[in-house]
Amino acid sequence: MSDELSSGAALAAKNLRCQLGSGSNRFDLAVDSLELRAGEVLVILGPNGAGKSTLLRALAGLESTVAKDSVQRGRGPVTLVFQRPAALSGSAGFNVRAALLGKRVAERERRERVAGALARFDIAHLVDHNAKTLSGGELRRLALARAFVLQPEVLLLDEPFDDLDAEGQRRLSLDLEQAIAETSVAVAMVTHDLRRALLLADRIAVLMRGRLVQFGARDEVLQQPDSVEIARTVGMTNLATGTVRRTTDGTSWVEISEGFEIPTSASLTVGDSAWIGIRPEHLKLDIGRGDGQPIGKAVVKSMVSDGLATVVSLRIQEQTFTTHLLSGRGLARRLRPGDSVSLAVSPDQVHARAITPDA
Amino acid sequence: MEGMDLEKIVEITLRTLWVCGCALLAALSIGIPIGIALGSRRFRGRSLAVSTVNAGMGAPPVVVGLGCYILFARSGLFGGMGFIYSLSGMIVAQTLIAVPLVIGITLAAVGSLDEEWSLQVRTLGIGRGWRLWLLVREIRMGLLAAVIAALGGILSEVGASQMVGGNLDGKTRVLTTAIMMKTSMGQWEQAAGLAAVLIGLTLLVAGLLTIIQQSGRAR
Repeated sequence: MSDELSSGAALAAKNLRCQLGSGSNRFDLAVDSLELRAGEVLVILGPNGAGKSTLLRALAGLESTVAKDSVQRGRGPVTLVFQRPAALSGSAGFNVRAALLGKRVAERERRERVAGALARFDIAHLVDHNAKTLSGGELRRLALARAFVLQPEVLLLDEPFDDLDAEGQRRLSLDLEQAIAETSVAVAMVTHDLRRALLLADRIAVLMRGRLVQFGARDEVLQQPDSVEIARTVGMTNLATGTVRRTTDGTSWVEISEGFEIPTSASLTVGDSAWIGIRPEHLKLDIGRGDGQPIGKAVVKSMVSDGLATVVSLRIQEQTFTTHLLSGRGLARRLRPGDSVSLAVSPDQVHARAITPDA
Repeated sequence: MEGMDLEKIVEITLRTLWVCGCALLAALSIGIPIGIALGSRRFRGRSLAVSTVNAGMGAPPVVVGLGCYILFARSGLFGGMGFIYSLSGMIVAQTLIAVPLVIGITLAAVGSLDEEWSLQVRTLGIGRGWRLWLLVREIRMGLLAAVIAALGGILSEVGASQMVGGNLDGKTRVLTTAIMMKTSMGQWEQAAGLAAVLIGLTLLVAGLLTIIQQSGRAR
C-alpha cells in the first residue's frame, strides 16, 4: 500500500466511505480526499456527531465497512489513542510493554523503549502501579506512552484533552507538543478544545454531517472559513449578515443595520447580501490608539474570565459580539458590565462572503 | 462407615474426580472459545444463540441425562459408540451440562469489558494470537468463576450420571450415585459418609479456586 502514497505523505484517504448503523440511525461518512503529511499536526474540528471519531477509526483501519484500498498507509505503525483509553489489567509498565507483544524487538531495546515512553509522559514513577487505579489524567498519559512506544509513523488522537482540568490540559499539551517535535510523528487530532488545537495545528480539517467541508492551512481555515457554520466551528464567533452599501479604496462597507456598518477588505460588489465574520481577538475596543476603523458604540453585557483571558460580551444595536482581553490587565480590570465602549476593526481582519442564492 | 471399606470410598472418589475433571476440561475447551466469540462478535442470530445458552445454563441434569440416554442407548443414534453405562458417556453428559455454564459466564466476562477494549488493543498492531492472550488474561477472573460454576454443577449432579452411567459397581459408580443408592437402601450412615466426602471435595476445590480468584483480584 505504501507505494500509492505521494512523497511526503504519511497517510492518505481517497474516496473513503464508511457506513454505521441502519435505518433512521444510519450515518454515512464520505471523505473524497484527505492527506496527512509526515511530521505535521492535522486538527479535525466539527460539531458533535459530525463523524470526527469515526473518521479517525476509519483511518486507523478499525471500521469494517471501509474499503481497505481507500486508506493508504506508509510502512510505520498507525495507532489511535481513544477518547476514553482502556487500561489492561496489570501495572502501567505492563500496559506499555504489551504494545510491543509479538514484535521483533530485542529485550534490552524493549526495556529502553518502555522506560523512555513512560518518562516522556512523566509517568515513570507509576511503572509498578496498577493501571486500573490510575486517575483519568494518568491513564491518558499512559495511553500516549503506549502509543509512542510503538514509534508510530502516524498517531491518531481522539479528544486527548477531554476531562482534564486546565492545568492537566496545559501540561499534557506541552508534553505532547514536545513528543511530536522530537519524533516527527504525523498527528491527526480530534478535539473540542479549540485553544489547544490552535497551539498544535499545522492544518485544520472541518467535518460536518460526515463530509469534509474545509481543509487547509491553519490560518487559512481560521480566518477564511467557507461558511457561517464553519466559521462558528473554528471560533469565529462574531457573525452578522448585511448588505454591501459602498466600496472605497478596496474596502467594502457592509450595513448590518441602520447606521451600523462594518468595513472589510473582502472582494464584494455593492448591493450584495453578505455575511461577515470577525474572530474575537480581532474585534478591538477602540481606546484612542487608532487601532483599526471605528464601527460604533457598544455596551458591555458581561465579562467572564478563566484566569488567563476575559471574554467580554458586547451589545451593539441588535448584535451580540464578543472580544477577548488579557485578564487582570488594563481594560479587563477597568471595564464593568453596562459600560459603553467604542468598537474598531481592521478591514483585512473582517472576513466576508457574498450570500449566494443556494448558500 | 460400616459395610464400605476405605479402598472403595477412595476408588469412587477418584472415579468422581476423573469423570468431573475430564468433563470440566472438555467443557472449558468448548465453552471458552464459544463464549469469547459470542461475547466479542456481532452477527445475525447472536441473540438466539445467547438465549439458547442462557436456557442451557438452567437445564436440569436429569433432562440432559435422559437426552443422552436416548442417544447412547443401543437403539439410539450413537448406540454403536458404546457410551451407555460407560465413563465416556458420563463425561459427555457432564460436559453437556457444563458447556452452557462456561459459555454463559465467559460471555458475561467479555461483555463486562469496555466496549472499545478490543479496538484499543487492535490499534496497537498486536497480532491475533497475542490479542487473544490479552483477552483471556483480562477476563481471567470471569473464567475462574466459570470453572467454579461448572465444577460445582457437575460434581453435584446425579441425574445424568445415574441415567447414562447406570451406577455400576467398580465401573461407573461415582459419589452422587453412590449416595443415592445407599439412601434408597436405607444405609443412612454410609450415605452421610459419602456425602461428607463429596461436600469436602466440593469445598476443597471451590475454596482453592476462590483463593486463586481473590489473590488475582488483589493484584
